[in-house]
Amino acid sequence: MIALLRYETAILARSYRWLFPVITYAFLVSVGFEGQTPLAEGLDWSAAMLVPAVALLTRMIVCAEPDAARAVVGAAAGPARAHLAALASAVGAGLLLGLAGAVFEVLTSESVERGPAGGPAAKLAATLAHPAVLVAGLAVAVICVLVGSAAGTLCNPPLIRHQGMAILSTLCLVVLGLAAGVSPAAAALRYRGGPGAALPHWPGAVPAITALGLAVVTWTVAALVAARRDSRATAGG
Amino acid sequence: MRLEAVGKRYGPRAPWVVRDVSAAVPAGGLIRLEGRNGSGKSTLLKVIAGVCLPSSGRVRGRPHVGYVPERFPGGLPFSAREYLRHMARVHGLAGTPADRRVDEWLDRLGAAGYAHAPLRSLSKGMCQKVAIAQALLPGSGLLVLDEAWTGLDAAARRTLEAAAAAWAAAGGRVVFVDHDPARLAGRASERWQLDGTGRLTIVAGDHVAPPRDRQRRDGLDL
Repeated sequence: MIALLRYETAILARSYRWLFPVITYAFLVSVGFEGQTPLAEGLDWSAAMLVPAVALLTRMIVCAEPDAARAVVGAAAGPARAHLAALASAVGAGLLLGLAGAVFEVLTSESVERGPAGGPAAKLAATLAHPAVLVAGLAVAVICVLVGSAAGTLCNPPLIRHQGMAILSTLCLVVLGLAAGVSPAAAALRYRGGPGAALPHWPGAVPAITALGLAVVTWTVAALVAARRDSRATAGG
Repeated sequence: MRLEAVGKRYGPRAPWVVRDVSAAVPAGGLIRLEGRNGSGKSTLLKVIAGVCLPSSGRVRGRPHVGYVPERFPGGLPFSAREYLRHMARVHGLAGTPADRRVDEWLDRLGAAGYAHAPLRSLSKGMCQKVAIAQALLPGSGLLVLDEAWTGLDAAARRTLEAAAAAWAAAGGRVVFVDHDPARLAGRASERWQLDGTGRLTIVAGDHVAPPRDRQRRDGLDL
């Protein structure tokens, strides 16, 4: 599985297919940048934008391999495992992106310590001295990565092969994932740790478990379908 | 390794491409799969190789698989050697011996000069060599060749023929399709014939063209 992960990650990294999701993420995070917002709110925003970013990353990696190359890897390691490795590499990239987003928020948001506003180094030191806000923000980010992965997995090959349908449904699920009451990402973002906006925004257990469950279910279904179906394009002969 | 009542169709209402195939793939077997265009040879090879699951029935006891698809268009962001090194690890090989095997096969197939060339830039024949090298890396288990000889130069065709025969001789299993009836003539242990309806008939032994004919074809078909 390690070899498969390395292979899929190398495809994602070397093909520059990560570029579009990363630029999209950077754009969305910077759109939410308002300067003097509490760190907890900034972290929530950068976590929320991981939903579209990871859905896009997932699309990029599952569409990166030509059919023949996928067949070769499927024969060598099993088509389901190969597909899982591709999905996992998108999640790995999403977690890195989430970390980068969190660092950006720590350096630019309001310091978690009251008092005179310091420079980025002072903010970093203050955040690390009171890590609860950051840890809570990262927990929300992980939930959003899982929701983004579930949306990307559900709306792209092998489950939805038609390109237009795939992009449209990904977009719909991303909006739903951020706005609908049932979405674990929305639930994690809505949760507020009391009246003080500067308090850590812990996501709560229910959204975390739901997000994990969604990811597991969509990954399993996609892996099973990847193993059962094969594009007719390479059939014949 | 056995196929038990294997059937394959691409969708619940689609017609059966292959139906009710039961056969053993014995150790040391060199099996030639035959059939007209569109008779389901590639589909059956994919099910045998484990690229996709059968729609009905099952494949039991499949060993590790090296698979060469009909066309290997490259299109990955690697050089030939980088791709093969990744594939060696996916095949479960590790470290310096794996890297040495990669270079060895690139050299034997006459692709050593293109080891550092990006896959995207390679010609059809050179891509085919990379796909073949990838499948031969594990060295044992099941080797599935879907018209792997197409597009190769004469030297590489001979190398692949020898490699497939050696694979079976060493106790591995080989299943292959090729449009040239003289391919591995006299060496196939079984011939499997797909009729137009997706059913399989097994013909034991081999009685194809004599070696002289094979040489003539290899000489012409560049």
